[in-house]
Amino acid sequence: MLRYVINRVLLMIPTLIAISIIVFLIIQLPPGNYLESYIAELQAQGESVDPQKIAFLRKEYGLDKPMVEQYLYWAWGMLHGDFGYSFEFNLPVSKVIGDRMLLTIIVSGITIVFTWAVAFPIAIYSATHQYSWGDYGLSLLGFLGIAIPNFMLALVMMYLANVWFETSIGGLMDPEFVGKPWTWPKARSVLEHSWIPVIIISAHSTAGMIRRLRANLLDELQKQYVVTARAKGLPPRKVLYKYPLRMALNFFVSDIGSILPHIISGTEITAVVLSLPTAGPMLLNALKSQDMYLAGSFLMFLALMIVVGVLVSDLALMALDPRIRLQGGVTR
Amino acid sequence: MIARTARFACSLFVALMLACPAGAEEPPMLQPDVAAGKLPPLAGRLPNPPLVVDLKRPNWTQGAYGGEMRMLMAKDRDIRMMVVYGYSRLAGYDEQLRIVPDILEKIVNEGSRVFTLHLRRGHKWSDGQPFTAADFRYYWEDVVNNKELSPFGLPQALMVRNRGPRFEVLNDTTMRYSWDEPNPQFLAALAGPSPLYIYRPAHYMRSFHAKYIGLAKANAQAIVAGSRSWAGLHQKKDEQYRFDNPDLPTLEPWMNTTPLPSTRFVLVRNPYFHRVDASGRQLPYIDRVTVAISEEKLIPAKAGAGDIDLQARYLRFDNYTFLKQNEKRNKYRVQLWEKALGSQIALYPNLNVDDPHWRRLMRDVRFRRSLSLAINRHEINEVVYFGLGKESSNTVLQRSPLYRPEFREAWIGFNLKAANALLDELGLAKRDANGLRLLPDGRPMEVVVDTSGESTEETDVLELVRDSWRKIGIALFSRPSQREVFRKRVYSGKSMMSVWTGLDNGIPTPEMSPRELSPTAQEQLQWPMWGQYYENNRKGGQAPDMAEAIELVELYDAWRVSASDAEREKIWLRMLDIHAQQVFTIGVVTRALQPVVVSNALRNVPTEGIYSWDPGAYFGLYHPDTFWFDPKGRR
Repeated sequence: MLRYVINRVLLMIPTLIAISIIVFLIIQLPPGNYLESYIAELQAQGESVDPQKIAFLRKEYGLDKPMVEQYLYWAWGMLHGDFGYSFEFNLPVSKVIGDRMLLTIIVSGITIVFTWAVAFPIAIYSATHQYSWGDYGLSLLGFLGIAIPNFMLALVMMYLANVWFETSIGGLMDPEFVGKPWTWPKARSVLEHSWIPVIIISAHSTAGMIRRLRANLLDELQKQYVVTARAKGLPPRKVLYKYPLRMALNFFVSDIGSILPHIISGTEITAVVLSLPTAGPMLLNALKSQDMYLAGSFLMFLALMIVVGVLVSDLALMALDPRIRLQGGVTR
Repeated sequence: MIARTARFACSLFVALMLACPAGAEEPPMLQPDVAAGKLPPLAGRLPNPPLVVDLKRPNWTQGAYGGEMRMLMAKDRDIRMMVVYGYSRLAGYDEQLRIVPDILEKIVNEGSRVFTLHLRRGHKWSDGQPFTAADFRYYWEDVVNNKELSPFGLPQALMVRNRGPRFEVLNDTTMRYSWDEPNPQFLAALAGPSPLYIYRPAHYMRSFHAKYIGLAKANAQAIVAGSRSWAGLHQKKDEQYRFDNPDLPTLEPWMNTTPLPSTRFVLVRNPYFHRVDASGRQLPYIDRVTVAISEEKLIPAKAGAGDIDLQARYLRFDNYTFLKQNEKRNKYRVQLWEKALGSQIALYPNLNVDDPHWRRLMRDVRFRRSLSLAINRHEINEVVYFGLGKESSNTVLQRSPLYRPEFREAWIGFNLKAANALLDELGLAKRDANGLRLLPDGRPMEVVVDTSGESTEETDVLELVRDSWRKIGIALFSRPSQREVFRKRVYSGKSMMSVWTGLDNGIPTPEMSPRELSPTAQEQLQWPMWGQYYENNRKGGQAPDMAEAIELVELYDAWRVSASDAEREKIWLRMLDIHAQQVFTIGVVTRALQPVVVSNALRNVPTEGIYSWDPGAYFGLYHPDTFWFDPKGRR
C-alpha cells in the first residue's frame, strides 16, 4: 500500500514536467507574443504605440530570448514558488491571483455544498419513487438543467432581473467593498450576492448528479440483498441508507478528482457573463492576450489539482470499497 | 504655436478675485479636509494664474459640484482611458483643433525651432508637491538620457534628422527646447491622447532611481518588488499614461486610487487641479469617477440597462437600436457622434504581395482604379449603413481644412464599363468558361481578401463587393482569420488584399503629421514592407521602388522639417492628391457613427461631436472636467 502511494507520487513528477512543457508550447503556439497582441489591440482602438517602449518591454520581459530559455526561466522560477510576471497587470502572478483565488474558492465551495444538498434528497426521492409523477417532474427539471448551458441561464436571469426588478446581477459584493480588506460586512455582502451565481453555476452539475445517483441507486435497489433485507423486516429507511446508498456512492468519490480543479476554475464562461471577480475570466483573458506566465501558471496549478485529485479519489475508493483491487501484483 | 494672450485678461481677473478673502467656494467634498487643515484652502492649491475654462458651446453652463460618474471598461488596463478623457496636457487641442496651452501658461514658438515653455506659478502635483522645471530636468537628464532607462535613445518626436534638442532651464518655471531645424511634431506630440511626457514627478520617481539612492539599494528594492533591475521597477512605477500606480502623483482632473488588479476602479478629484470655471470655482465638477470592469460583449447590454452615466468605448453602431429602445426606461440618451476615420471600411491591395503576377497588377494604378470603380458604394451604404454613411474614397473628412471634394470623389463612381475597359487595357481580356478574367500565367483572377474576423460588417460589405466585382470578371473570396494571424499574413506578403478601417485621422490640420500617408510603419496594410523599411530606420523590409511612394516619403520628410503652416498645407494637399489619384487604398463609405450613451442627469456633454483618438482624445476634447450632474435630472 505504502509503496503504491510512493510510486504514484513519484510518477506525478514526470507527469507534471510533461504537462508544463505542453502548456508552455500551447500558449506559445498562436502566432506572435504578448507584446504583439498588445500592439494589435491598441491599434484596433486607434491608439498608437511608442516603438521604443515596446523594445524596452521586450527586453525587460525577456521576450527576445529563445523559447527554451523562456521555458526554463519559468519552470525554474516555479520550483522556487515564483510564478513569473504578468505582463498584462505589470505585477507578479501571485499578487494578481491572490484575492481572486479566495473568492473563487468561496463561490465554488458554496456551489459544491449546494449541489450536494439539493441533488441528494432529490435523487433519493426519484429513485425510491421511480415512475411516479414526482419522479417525472424532477427528471424533467434535471434534463432541463443538463440541457441549458450555464451561460445561457445566466443571460436569461440577468435579463429578467433587470426587466422585472430593475437590478443588475453581476459582481460578488456591493460596489463599496470592492478592493477593500476583508471585514464582516464585506463577507456578508459576498454571501448575499453569491446565491444567484451559485444557483446558476450549480444547475448543470446538480442535474447531472441527480441523474447519476438515481441510476446507481436504482441498480442497487434491484439487487437481492435489498429484497432480503426488506423480507427480514428491516425498516425501509435503514434498508435504504445502510446499504444501497453507500454502494451507490462510488461514483461520488471518484468525482473528487474532478472537483478539485473545478473549485479553482470550472465556470469560466458563466463567470464572464456574470462578471464575477473569480479566477475563470482572468484565465480566459490571459490566454487571449498571451500573457504567458499568468496563463501558464494558472494551467499548471489546475493540472496539479487534477493530478492530486485523481490520486486522492483513487486512494479513497480503495479504502471505501473492498471490492476494488490494485492491479499489478500489489497485495495487502 | 502662439502664446494665447487672449485668456490673459480673464486669468488676471480670476487671480485678483482669488486674492480677496471672499474667494470662490470650495468643492464640498474637500471642505472637511480644508477645515481640518489637511488641505490648504483653494487659493493655496491653484496655480497663478489657473486655466479658466469657459466654453462657448451652445447649452454649455457652469455646473454644480458633486456626484459620481459611472463608466465601464473591458480590461483592467483600460484604466488608462481616464488619462485620455481627463486630457490634461502641457498643451492640448481645443474644439477647433488648435493647439492651446493647458498645463503650461504659455508657449513661445520661434519658427518651430525653439520652444520656450512657461509653467504656471505655484502649480502643484496631486500630492501637493510643487510642479517645476526640476520635473522637466529629471526627465531630460535622468530618464531619457539615461542609458539603462532609455536604451533606445530619445523618442521619435524629439528627433529631427536623428538629432535631439538642446534643453535649458531658464528659471524655476521656464524651460527651452531648441532644434537646429524645425520640429513641427513637437507640440502635436505633447497634445496627443497618449502624450509625450517630457516631465516626471521627480520628487516621487527619485526614490527608485539608482543615481539618487545608490545602485545597490535601487536594485535590491527592485528585486523585492519582482522586477529584474532598478530600471524595470522605475519604468513600472513611472506610468503616467497607464495610470496603474495610485502612488504616482498626477496632473489629471481625477486621480486613480485603485491598484491593479481590480474589477472596480475609483477615481477622485485632484485637489490641486489647475483649471477653474469662469466664477473661479475649481474643476472638475464631478467628485468621483468609478470604472467597473466587465466583459466586453456585455458592455452594450449593461449600458442599455442604465448601469452607466457616460459610455462610448465598446459600443458599436449595430448596438444603436437596442440602446435607443431602452432610452426612456433607463433614463439616458443615445447620441451619435462622428468618428474621425477617413473611411469606415477600406480595402488594402497589398503592393508587397509575394506572388509576382499579382504584385505587378497591384502596383499598376489602372488595376486599383478599376477595382475601385467596380464597387457599388451607394448600394453598400443603403444596405449595410441604413444610408447614414457617405460614399467616399479613403481621404480626409469634410471637417478638416485639408478636405477637397475632388479627393473624395476620385474614382468612386460606380462604372463597370470604365472598369472593364481599364482591365482590358491591362491585357487581361482573356476569360475562362465562368467568365473570370485570366492572369497572364493562365490562372483565373481570384482575389482573396483577408479580414481580421472581428465584425460581420466587414463580411457584409465584402459580400456586396463580390457581386459587383464578378461583373468585371474578378472573383472575390474573403478569408476571415484572427487578428494576429491576419497581420502576420499581410506583413509577410502572403495576403494579396485586406480589409480594415480607413485613415485613423480623418480630420487633420496642416500641423498634424501626415505620416499615415507615407510608408512609415509596418502596420500600413497596403505597403507593409516599405513601412517596415522606414520604421526600422531604413533597415529590414524593402525600400519602395515606385515613383509615387518615393515621392510620398520625400514629402513626409519635407513636412518633418517644415517651418510654416503654408508650406505644410502644400505638402499635405500634394500627398492627399497622390493618394486620391493612385487609389493606394480603396475607401468605401465614410461618416462612421459612434453611439454615446449619456445619463439624463449629466450636463455639458455635447449632442454632436467627433469621437476620435488623435486629435481629440475621445471625450477629452470636450472637457469632461466640466461635465456635471444636475440633481433635478437624477432618477
